[in-house]
Amino acid sequence: MAISSGSPSVWKGRAQLFICILLPILLLQIPTASLPLFNDISVMEHRLLAIFMMAVMMWVLEPIPVFATSVLVIMLELLLVSDKGLAFLMTPEVENFGKVLSYKSIMHSFSEPIILLFLGGFFLAAAATKYRLDLNLARVLLRPFGEKPANVMLGLMGVTAIFSMFMSNTATTAMMLALLVPILKTMPLDDKGRITFALAIPFAANIGGIGTPIGTPPNAVAQKYLTGENAIAFADWMVFSVPYVVVMLLLTWIMLCRFFPISIPAIKVDINSRWQKGPQAFTVYTVFGLTIFLWIFAGLLGLGLTSHIIAMLPVTVFCATRIITPKDLKQMDWDVLWLVAGGLALGSGLKATGLSKSLVEVIPFDSMSGVMIIAVGASVAMAMSTFMSNTATAALILPIMAALGTGLPELAAMGGTQMIVIACTFACSMAMAMPISTPPNALAYATGFLSTKDMGKAGIFVGIVGLCLSFVMLFIMSQIGYFG
Amino acid sequence: MVRPIILSVDDQDEIREGLLRDLESFESYFDLYDCESAADARLVLDEAEDHGVPVALIISDHVMPEETGVQFLTRLLEENRFLDTKKLLLTGLATHSDTIKAINEAKIDNYVAKPWDHLGLQTIVSTLITHFIFDTDLDYRQFGDLIDMRVVLDRSR
Repeated sequence: MAISSGSPSVWKGRAQLFICILLPILLLQIPTASLPLFNDISVMEHRLLAIFMMAVMMWVLEPIPVFATSVLVIMLELLLVSDKGLAFLMTPEVENFGKVLSYKSIMHSFSEPIILLFLGGFFLAAAATKYRLDLNLARVLLRPFGEKPANVMLGLMGVTAIFSMFMSNTATTAMMLALLVPILKTMPLDDKGRITFALAIPFAANIGGIGTPIGTPPNAVAQKYLTGENAIAFADWMVFSVPYVVVMLLLTWIMLCRFFPISIPAIKVDINSRWQKGPQAFTVYTVFGLTIFLWIFAGLLGLGLTSHIIAMLPVTVFCATRIITPKDLKQMDWDVLWLVAGGLALGSGLKATGLSKSLVEVIPFDSMSGVMIIAVGASVAMAMSTFMSNTATAALILPIMAALGTGLPELAAMGGTQMIVIACTFACSMAMAMPISTPPNALAYATGFLSTKDMGKAGIFVGIVGLCLSFVMLFIMSQIGYFG
Repeated sequence: MVRPIILSVDDQDEIREGLLRDLESFESYFDLYDCESAADARLVLDEAEDHGVPVALIISDHVMPEETGVQFLTRLLEENRFLDTKKLLLTGLATHSDTIKAINEAKIDNYVAKPWDHLGLQTIVSTLITHFIFDTDLDYRQFGDLIDMRVVLDRSR
């Protein structure tokens, strides 16, 4: 009856962790001046390159949780490239030492405005779930779609997409699937409609997340590179992303109905919920509506508030009214925020040390046309995020793409940083070919109504259509002078 | 990936054998252990703790010589150990006051009467381990179709 902690898979994890640590250390052992490929990079860039390499490997292999890799990135930046790093390593008198980062700016990653914008979104979602605003809204919004299966499905997809613009894609999918699973169980086993419905929800959630800057964490990472003259306000993001989401939903709906035809004549989604009418419930409804209203219209009203400041409204009011209690606060997805924070810290480091520029110089982008670069960048982003975390993909790809956007004159003429960052950010959310691609996909797969083959077939199709549509959208935007 | 433990405690051999048969499918992702007494079970638990292997579920009989199931589970609770571990009391002979104690003092998560319904027990075990998976931040995707989908959707919100 011996219990041991060393099963083969445990050893595999340890071996992966070992390699993820060993290779970056080996990279650091090469003298900076004789690094292959790179010429004339500084000691700081060299160290950050090792951190970047470690982040890539750890985010791909996941020997430790993805958010833990983020924390590790921040810790290593503090030790190896910050002004308060290990004294014997921080020797700026060395020739070509490079630009040292301030430790405060690295730690600041944990509380960047974009992190607080997301926290505001978490507060809205937590309060909405607690007071069943989400279920009640779903019930009201679904009513006009009747009982015809194809229409009901369109309604479900629309509701899912709208919710996932403001709530986490995973939570939205879980809520909608919970409504749907009992109904799907009553459908005949050979009805392909079971697959259609089970796929429609996660796909709509993945797509819907694109709709707002707080819809999904890759959008948060993108904000990091959309600053200064490239800044895109909350409402300005929605101006192009919401039409994109609408068209994608319609295309996905048509495609799923074609791929897996529904044979039952009618379907009825019963949602048992009542509007809560206490003072706290009304506070939730009001603040929810007001926050979203301000996010969209603050610019038009000339209030001068940024979306980050508006996000503090639900945080403040819900704390003060005990709608969000300390216990609720503890249950927020802090790991998601820390994952983003690590991505932001990595991006800051790459930019500040100049490594992102040096990396761009290593890859022969010069020989490619602007269109080609965007197509390749977005395809790589989609391929990577099919197998790993969307947020981690954005954290790795976007700093390099942003550097390209400013570095190449041809790209700058087309739409520069804004254009390429949007293309790659959208691509991070379009990966939905496998259960591991996104948490919503995993949930849908776990319901048991579909096979990986079904998901692969539909997911690859949606992904490719999504990429093409984003290129069309960017082309139109560039033609009408959006990028100025 | 870790293989959490499902531990059954019963002084009757045939009950333990029957349980192992019913829970056979769980063996793909869990290690099943069976013990004939609370003292024996404690040895397994100590060893699991030493090796850092999580214990997902304890299925315990109540009426056993020396230490009863409720006493055993209550003691674990008093020692502040295995707080995330789900506890199921599987018994045919518990009195009314034993049952009250099981709920109030041993804080059991489920109560099943002997003889038990095979399919019903499997469903209960599946629900309990899914809660355990979420309570301890394990990845539900690594447990195949043993998980309870309702719990997964509920806890992913």
